[in-house]
Amino acid sequence: MDALTIPPVDLGLIAPLLVVVTWATGLLLVDTFFIPVGRKKLTGYLAIAGLVVAGLVGLPLWGVSGSTFGGMVRLDPFALTLTWVFLLIGILSITMSLDYLPRQDIEQGEYYPLIMFAVSGMILLAQGADLIVLFLGIETLSITLYILTGFAYPRLTSEEAAMKYLVLGAFAAGFFVYGIALIFGATGSTRLSEIGAYAADRDLGDTNLTLLLGGAAMVLIAFSFKAALAPFHMWIPDVYQGSPTPVAAFMSVGTKGGALAALVRLLFEALPTLNAYWLPVLAGLTALTMVVGNLGAIAQMDVKRMLAYSSIGHAGYVMLGVMVAGEQRGPEAFIFYILVYALSNLGAFAVLIALEHQGEEAWQLDDFAGLYQRQPLLAVAMAIFMFSLAGVPPTAGFMAKFYALTAAWEGGLPWLALVGVLTSAIAAFFYLRVIIRMFMTEPEGEPAPELNRGLTIDIVVAAAGTIIIGLIPAPIFALVERSAVALGG
Amino acid sequence: MEVVVQITFGVIAVFILVAAAMVVSVRNVIHAALWLIACFFGVGALYMLLEAEFLAVVQVLIYVGAVSVLILFAIMLTRQITGEGVRQLTNRWPVVLAIATLLFATVLAPTLINQQWNVPPAPPLGTPEPIAGPAELGRGFVNEFLIQFQVVGVLLTVALIGAIVIAYEERARRRKVLTLAEELELKRLREQTSPTVPAPVEAEPVVQESRSASER
Repeated sequence: MDALTIPPVDLGLIAPLLVVVTWATGLLLVDTFFIPVGRKKLTGYLAIAGLVVAGLVGLPLWGVSGSTFGGMVRLDPFALTLTWVFLLIGILSITMSLDYLPRQDIEQGEYYPLIMFAVSGMILLAQGADLIVLFLGIETLSITLYILTGFAYPRLTSEEAAMKYLVLGAFAAGFFVYGIALIFGATGSTRLSEIGAYAADRDLGDTNLTLLLGGAAMVLIAFSFKAALAPFHMWIPDVYQGSPTPVAAFMSVGTKGGALAALVRLLFEALPTLNAYWLPVLAGLTALTMVVGNLGAIAQMDVKRMLAYSSIGHAGYVMLGVMVAGEQRGPEAFIFYILVYALSNLGAFAVLIALEHQGEEAWQLDDFAGLYQRQPLLAVAMAIFMFSLAGVPPTAGFMAKFYALTAAWEGGLPWLALVGVLTSAIAAFFYLRVIIRMFMTEPEGEPAPELNRGLTIDIVVAAAGTIIIGLIPAPIFALVERSAVALGG
Repeated sequence: MEVVVQITFGVIAVFILVAAAMVVSVRNVIHAALWLIACFFGVGALYMLLEAEFLAVVQVLIYVGAVSVLILFAIMLTRQITGEGVRQLTNRWPVVLAIATLLFATVLAPTLINQQWNVPPAPPLGTPEPIAGPAELGRGFVNEFLIQFQVVGVLLTVALIGAIVIAYEERARRRKVLTLAEELELKRLREQTSPTVPAPVEAEPVVQESRSASER
């Protein structure tokens, strides 16, 4: 019986992830034993502190590249920048929940650690270099989201959303596992780099390569489901509408960011040589996603549902960057788009929360009528977010769309860029419709409740970020450029 | 020794087959589930005979422990499928039988034709030693798959917390779900009273009653 050997691990490389997970676990205990019922906001503040600390811990890692745990996890500037973006998403989501939960009478201390666990899953997705690690990352994120979707369970819609999400999500997870099994059967490894090396050696027509392609297709289906690409998007509107609004906001940007970050790695580390097979498929999916998402949004009179469809459309624009991530521009566009979309979309959802009364839904377009006369600042903020989502200059959304479309154009997918431009034009219609309602119609109904601190901070940060990045994009460009250098080799 | 193994195998195999036949032939769904558990146990014993201890343990844990409980829960939560008196075969069962046989044959035929019996298959060159026993598996967990092992720990914690958050809090607000016993009670009540009264109306008081009982 030989002694157990534990391989050398460099915990420094997963420091932000470690901080988030340990902090969340500790917070669960602290919340149970020290924080009295009714003061659960304290837990929220502590969770925000944890995410900030995780971000700070990541600072000295800038520029470090390396892998640990026997090559299962990787740290590079690409992963680190995404980690920061994910932490920001987590912080903004928690901030907007602080007042939402007590107002909806669903406040429980576990909510905040759960968000942290979801963030840890996203970070793992950005860092994973092994199919099993990626699977576990996706599952950590998804299981947490199933719980959070059903968090308002006395409400039937929340229960329904959680059930739908769980059943379909579990189905997609099955595809993922089956895909991993096929890939492992073909190549004898689950590590992305080894799969890539194996595929590079083989001629097309090799039986094992066929098996590998089959497995890759299964895994792509799972990713498409998580990122809400077109034929796999059916669950999005119902789930977003039913789940608590901050959770929907978190989900709309979080799952997309996490899943697509992992997809970038999968495509360009494991399957770069099979480019000829997956590129047409993904390009078709992307085009369909942009069309379906934006056309679907037109018909929606419910703003929350409209944002759900718009998130499908935006998944398409993010995919533009993902598909050409082999070029320098691709990953840059990807990170930039995720950051900008996170700010604009979280902001828009925060405005929705601000309009919700006690347990009452105020998501209809008519609820926005004359908002400018009732609450001018809120209306202006919403206008900024809508302009940004539509991609109107000088907001950040314009820069992001421009970036993504040029990346696709230069990456050899000009027709896709054209589809992107056309669908953006369609999208302008339903975003501007909200703005017209807010500014050009008479107010109806009672005035919305006062804004509270958490929401105000959230909306101000998001709006300021959207405008500043739109006006002075250079620093973010520099950051994004340096993050993307290491990738695609 | 060989003879003992053969006899043991025979006994287990017969047990599995009988149990499996009972699963599809008994009328009561719960009895079917219990026979299914017996069947799973038999398969576990078969694994033990093949010296795959770990598989045997996993078989018992997952199939007997988790899957069966899940089935029983599903039966419990689904209204009125105790299944007594329900005809299990449709009129077109020969068609179903033919389709099922065909599908099964499609899977089995290549195996039967290509298999060289009584010859231990040679492992392909260069394949690593298969993970067979718990010791190798344990070593894998602390060595090659260390990070996965850790992350699964986190994942299970999250799932546990989620279960508690969703299931445990504020029961009073949840809708009442009838247990199987209450369901049967309801049925009996319905049968006792006259059939002219529509069923849902009499069903109401019992639901009310059990709700108030749970609140007290």
